[in-house]
Amino acid sequence: MRPLLLWRYEVRRAGWAAVLAPPLVAAIVVLLAVVDAADGADQRGTVIRNLFAALEMGLPLVAGIGAASLVGRDPAAELQLTVPTPYRATLLRRLAVVVGWTALVALLIAAVLLVIDGWADRPQAHGAVVGQLVWLAPTLWLAAVGFLAGAVFRGPAAAGGLVAVLWMIEQILTEAVQQHQWSRLLYLFATSQGTVPADWTGNRLTLVATAIVLGIAAWLLLGGTERLVRGEAG
Amino acid sequence: MIPTARYELRMMLRKRSMWISMAIIVGLLSLTAFRQISDAVRDNDARGVMTTVALLVNIFLPVGYGSLLADRLVRDQLLGVAPILDATGGSALARLFGKYLGVCAAAAVPLATVYFGFAVVYTVVSGRPAGLAWALAAFAVVLLPAVLFVGAFALAVPLIMPASLFRVLFVGYWFWGNAITPATMPTLANSLVSPIGGYPLSALLGYRDTVSAGPTPGASLNFLRPQPTPATAWLSIAVLFALAALALYAAHAIRARTTR
Amino acid sequence: MQIDITGLTKRYKGGVPALDRLDLVVPTGMFGLLGANGAGKTTLMRILAGLLRPTAGTVRIGGRDVTTRAGRLAIQRVLGYLPQDLGVYPDLTAREFLDYVALLKGIDDRSDRRRRVGELLEVVALTADADRRLRGYSGGMRRRVGIAQALLADPRLLIVDEPTAGLDPEERIRFRTLLAQLAGARTIVLSTHIVDDIAQTCRELAVLATGRLVFRGTVDELVRRAERHVWSVVTTGPAPTSGTIVSAVSHDDGMRYRVVSPAQPTPDAEPVPPNLEDGYLALAQTRS
Repeated sequence: MRPLLLWRYEVRRAGWAAVLAPPLVAAIVVLLAVVDAADGADQRGTVIRNLFAALEMGLPLVAGIGAASLVGRDPAAELQLTVPTPYRATLLRRLAVVVGWTALVALLIAAVLLVIDGWADRPQAHGAVVGQLVWLAPTLWLAAVGFLAGAVFRGPAAAGGLVAVLWMIEQILTEAVQQHQWSRLLYLFATSQGTVPADWTGNRLTLVATAIVLGIAAWLLLGGTERLVRGEAG
Repeated sequence: MIPTARYELRMMLRKRSMWISMAIIVGLLSLTAFRQISDAVRDNDARGVMTTVALLVNIFLPVGYGSLLADRLVRDQLLGVAPILDATGGSALARLFGKYLGVCAAAAVPLATVYFGFAVVYTVVSGRPAGLAWALAAFAVVLLPAVLFVGAFALAVPLIMPASLFRVLFVGYWFWGNAITPATMPTLANSLVSPIGGYPLSALLGYRDTVSAGPTPGASLNFLRPQPTPATAWLSIAVLFALAALALYAAHAIRARTTR
Repeated sequence: MQIDITGLTKRYKGGVPALDRLDLVVPTGMFGLLGANGAGKTTLMRILAGLLRPTAGTVRIGGRDVTTRAGRLAIQRVLGYLPQDLGVYPDLTAREFLDYVALLKGIDDRSDRRRRVGELLEVVALTADADRRLRGYSGGMRRRVGIAQALLADPRLLIVDEPTAGLDPEERIRFRTLLAQLAGARTIVLSTHIVDDIAQTCRELAVLATGRLVFRGTVDELVRRAERHVWSVVTTGPAPTSGTIVSAVSHDDGMRYRVVSPAQPTPDAEPVPPNLEDGYLALAQTRS
């Protein structure tokens, strides 16, 4: 096990924006609920809906774009590629920081939901324990997509753009995505936007499984030092 | 100003990653909306098809090119060319504007490729040359204002925050400010300030498929949603340009402060 | 640690070879690599550091094959690399940056790391500024940080690519002296287009041009290439047209030119003893 100090340096690499992003996004989503409920009747329902939205939509987006930003903006990349610590291990450490911090914020929100008995409002999530898949599945999936896109494009701009558009497609073309079983299994927002109830668990597990596959693909791609020395694609 | 614009355009168009990512995005969109697209290509209503596709393109692609443009100004600082560029003749504002025009042109090129590419396919398959005319009109009053709006903010905002944070907030804003049904929560969607171009789409191009502009019963901020008329459509475009100009001016002010 | 290069070719996409069937043996000690921009020096440095894979040919460093993963890892454990463009993390202080790189190089023991970082900061004369953030460092100071990081794990192989670019004369001399003192049992490959750096520190060198080896020998041998080829011309008239003008200095009695030319450039030109730069130019002339 490498020293903890190495992890601390990688946290510093992430920067203040990466630390700020998850709580900021969650706060904005919750604020929208508070503003919305100010003149409406169902305050509790609105807040719960938005907390789930933060969990399932907001935080995965943060993790995805964060993961997409890991490759291509490292000023010391050439040096990193010549030290005994493999650069892809360093990148994986940075990914763990991004996803880990997002997960911590997610768990906090999940705890809030537990306190206000919000999990009962989403019975398809099978309670607060299995219900952690609400955020974990899309977070891992978008992070894996972002990481792989980063490995392919070696640039945060293109990789981030791809994650962003994927997120939008799943937000807006809900009906199209729900039409076929295979796309339903890859639907990110099955809890908030709804899906065929029986498919929920399968959907969450499929997302986690594909995330692992995509992550492995990224790992293999990042083993090619020559690509990383060349820098941003094109 | 023009040389800066041309340079910026050339630099961005040369990036393979931009074309490849755009291709993947278009591929994903086509795959997801395959049935709708293949129906549309055979539809006789040229106006309806081109405006619907314009809306589709304007919902999704800005998120892609907004992300791509996010670090263009900051890159100058990173690559250390900022002092060299500053030392060349011409005012900083002119250079900023040149860069702005360049990146907007760079975003518009793949956008036009996709949109007019579809228009050509439609014209050939359906035999309706009016499709190209409607495409031109939609590009001018719907797609281009969005490019100019997004381009300004994509250049300016990353000056005060890391580009990755901008990307997250921008995607969230784009969804909230354009795609959310106004009755569900306070939003700028369907308003004069919505860069997706709902007002020009409905009032200038006669788009009727979904409600994209105008007041919604039960929604807040309806004062920003006058009835869609040609006048309010042009007002909407003007509002977007004004906001873009404001963003550019802010960028200029920030850079002037940080240049030693 | 000897470096054995046989038939080394590196071709990038587009076809033009950056390195073309290079055969070279680099012995232990200080070794210079000279060549114009685009000659292939950086490509060679990167292959030696394990960053790039050869298209053809073999490279063995201390008996290990650089093209295998195990070989690369073994070499990287004893490698100190200073790239041409060393990027640093601007938010870290010099001390923190070196600490971080030391961790990446596998120096996990905290006190060991602290000691080494402190020693190296002394060596590159950065102790006073060690706790300032790197974003406030000048180019020369960053170079020194680069040199310090290359020395962190007590490397047996040092690859330094254009190390004195951007350094002022005093810093350049200090750096050269430091490198020369380190040579001993180490192998140091110094790649540069600044001839004087090699003249002052290396006994042997190689010259690359468009990816090919055009000279391999001692510094003295390359200097001798310019014997009877270097002239001093003083004139108030036009500059000599034959040969290569190395320098032109204005004096009271006219312009004094130093010219490298196989034949006497003007009737009143006087032969002068050659230096390494003259030898390099004479070599270039025989090739063209």
